[in-house]
Amino acid sequence: MLLQIEHITKCFDDRTAALTDVSFSVGQGEFVSVIGPSGAGKTTLLRILNGAISCDAGSILYQDEHFEAARGRRKRDMQKKTATIYQDFCLVENMSCLQNVLNACLPEMAALPASLGLFSRAQREEAADLLARVGLADKVDEPVKNLSGGQKQRVAIARALLRRPLLLLADEPVASLDPATGRQILELLRGIQQTEHLTVLMNSHNLALAREFSDRLIGLREGQVVFDGPVREATPEVIASIYGAAISE
Amino acid sequence: MKDKILYKKHRTLRRLAGVLVFLLLFFAAAAWTDCSLPQLWARRAHLTDIVSGLFPPDWGYFSHIWKPLLATIQMSVTGTGLGAALALLLAPVCARNLRGSRPLGAICRALIQILRSFPALILALLATFLLGLGTFAGTTALTLYTFAILTRLTYEDIENTSTDAYDALCSLGTSPAAAFSRGILPGIAPSYLSNVLYLLETNVRNSSILGYVGAGGIGLLLDEKMSWLEYGKVGTILLALFVTVCVIEQLSLYLGSLIRGERRVSPAVSRGLALTAVAVFIFCTLTLAPPDFSHTSATLLRNMLSGLTHPDWSFFFQADSGGLGYLLLETVAISLVGTCVGALIALPLAFLSSPRFLPRPAAALFRLFTLLIRSVPFMIYGLIFIRVSGPGAFTGVLTLSVCSVGLLTKRFSEAIDALDFRPFQALRALGVAPLPALCRAVLPQCLPGFASAVLYRFDVNIREASVLGLVGAGGIGAPLIYAMNQYKWSTAGAICLGLILLVWLVDLLSARLRRSLD
Repeated sequence: MLLQIEHITKCFDDRTAALTDVSFSVGQGEFVSVIGPSGAGKTTLLRILNGAISCDAGSILYQDEHFEAARGRRKRDMQKKTATIYQDFCLVENMSCLQNVLNACLPEMAALPASLGLFSRAQREEAADLLARVGLADKVDEPVKNLSGGQKQRVAIARALLRRPLLLLADEPVASLDPATGRQILELLRGIQQTEHLTVLMNSHNLALAREFSDRLIGLREGQVVFDGPVREATPEVIASIYGAAISE
Repeated sequence: MKDKILYKKHRTLRRLAGVLVFLLLFFAAAAWTDCSLPQLWARRAHLTDIVSGLFPPDWGYFSHIWKPLLATIQMSVTGTGLGAALALLLAPVCARNLRGSRPLGAICRALIQILRSFPALILALLATFLLGLGTFAGTTALTLYTFAILTRLTYEDIENTSTDAYDALCSLGTSPAAAFSRGILPGIAPSYLSNVLYLLETNVRNSSILGYVGAGGIGLLLDEKMSWLEYGKVGTILLALFVTVCVIEQLSLYLGSLIRGERRVSPAVSRGLALTAVAVFIFCTLTLAPPDFSHTSATLLRNMLSGLTHPDWSFFFQADSGGLGYLLLETVAISLVGTCVGALIALPLAFLSSPRFLPRPAAALFRLFTLLIRSVPFMIYGLIFIRVSGPGAFTGVLTLSVCSVGLLTKRFSEAIDALDFRPFQALRALGVAPLPALCRAVLPQCLPGFASAVLYRFDVNIREASVLGLVGAGGIGAPLIYAMNQYKWSTAGAICLGLILLVWLVDLLSARLRRSLD
């Protein structure tokens, strides 16, 4: 198993439980979507998995290595195995696309060249190739602020791919895009995932898109896993149990 | 694509070369203006003799200062109001994207450029020759100063707004004036009003020094008590000024949040506020002391005009250390070093006074400290530093450094408050160490804002440096004020011409640099 999560629990300061006893595993090359209503704990889960916050109890194993207890350099080394794309892209707006993608090289570099942004020619070429791969060959030197939402998400995907991650975490990657652009982004993601045998764990609000592009769905409700299975097993009754009775397809 | 990547590498090299050239210029300017840290350290005791004299303030003296303090505020309110009204009239004529006469627009822009080359103090000195000593001259100077700065800011705002609505109204046959007030004005109003508030603040600080040239207000007293070495009374005046500046700043913060729509009040309250503002303005204007023409004569006016329009060319082109070129260059060097040192002090202060980095009470304390630095008129700094470093360029550098801190800290804090920390967190989640993440995700966001603030302050300092001459702190100011007081109008004309050219040049340069930062 690439990722194994066992009994993780997370409470915030105001003592509301965001996640309670969450366990599941993700195998190499899978495309898994976490679905559930707003406030179910999807984003908290992803933030724990990429190390932005820590969990209160339970264990997270990346290829049988414990992540939840790692600190400092060891934690950073493990973080290098994952890459995240976000709903709001998290790019440096006034930097060029190329420079934003190159930021993914920083974990491998020494502090001084990293701080000054002194990248090797090979790194630049790889970044430029990845931008071409996501369809932005003509925007290499364009500042990110001049791009559309879909193009920004492509830059973010290129940045994530430059890390050659074992696991790509996607936090609502298409929530701030229009439906047509959102579909294009997911087609791109799915295409890359299949050719590279990448593992993707995605959060999604959009049930229809999640069903169409994933191998497996995990249903979260009020911080607990209420469903874990292949897409075909997610019947209308299951969906209703995840979202409450209000939604049916 | 590979050529493009290579080209990027050349750009990095070019940037590095730019930084090296800048450092070279900075150290050359510092050496030329006799900057010496050991001297500053050795004579540090002199720094404290005035400062300790200010405490405790002479409380009993307070009853003497509230009248001139009110006169100072009155000058600022009237000057700001009149200047703002005039600016609103002229700005549409200057704007290049509206339907006006092009040659007229160019002439108006040139006039504004000339007018804004002079600091309020020099305008006040000129005004005292024509309108006699007193608050009327000061008010005139502040009106002209506000008018020049605000016209410039407003026509730039107009040029940056869309003219679609204006064009549509014009095509309906609406007169250009009506089309402007209905189609353009609503768009630029928030920025115009914030600029007016900012200038009101600046003018209150400015007007407190106008007394040095006899243009009325509390500066007259400040000058007197300073030269009589009555530091306790100086302390009282400074305290009163500090409180006034604090009150005006709070008022302008409150009104600013109303203007930007961050805070809402009922229409009746906002109408009441607008009426109060107008009433205060009218009251201040009507109670202004009339001008005193008893010392003005036609001969004086004629001499002044003919001197100013016939500059002393031999002085203008004189190449040695007594010539105009040398003095102007010295002014540039003082401003350059002063701005840079000010920026170095302002940078940590800005981070420390931001509630995003420190707990709120601590940040508020640093904010208060910055306000304290800002509220002291810079002549006081000049007079304090002259005891440390003696007359000369180094005193000018020290004074401008401290004076730059206030504005720079404010502009830096604005850039810091606008920061987006999500890219930083995203890099941290990729496993990037804190320092590189800061350098690659936070600094690139705030550097353009920082650089543009520093360039803007450099521009201001070049103009303000001419005032430093009043205390003998080097640069072009002393010869200019000396020439004016001696009625050597052709020398004054040559200096004014040099100053106008210099400010114009710096303006072009900084506009270009700022564009390349965006």
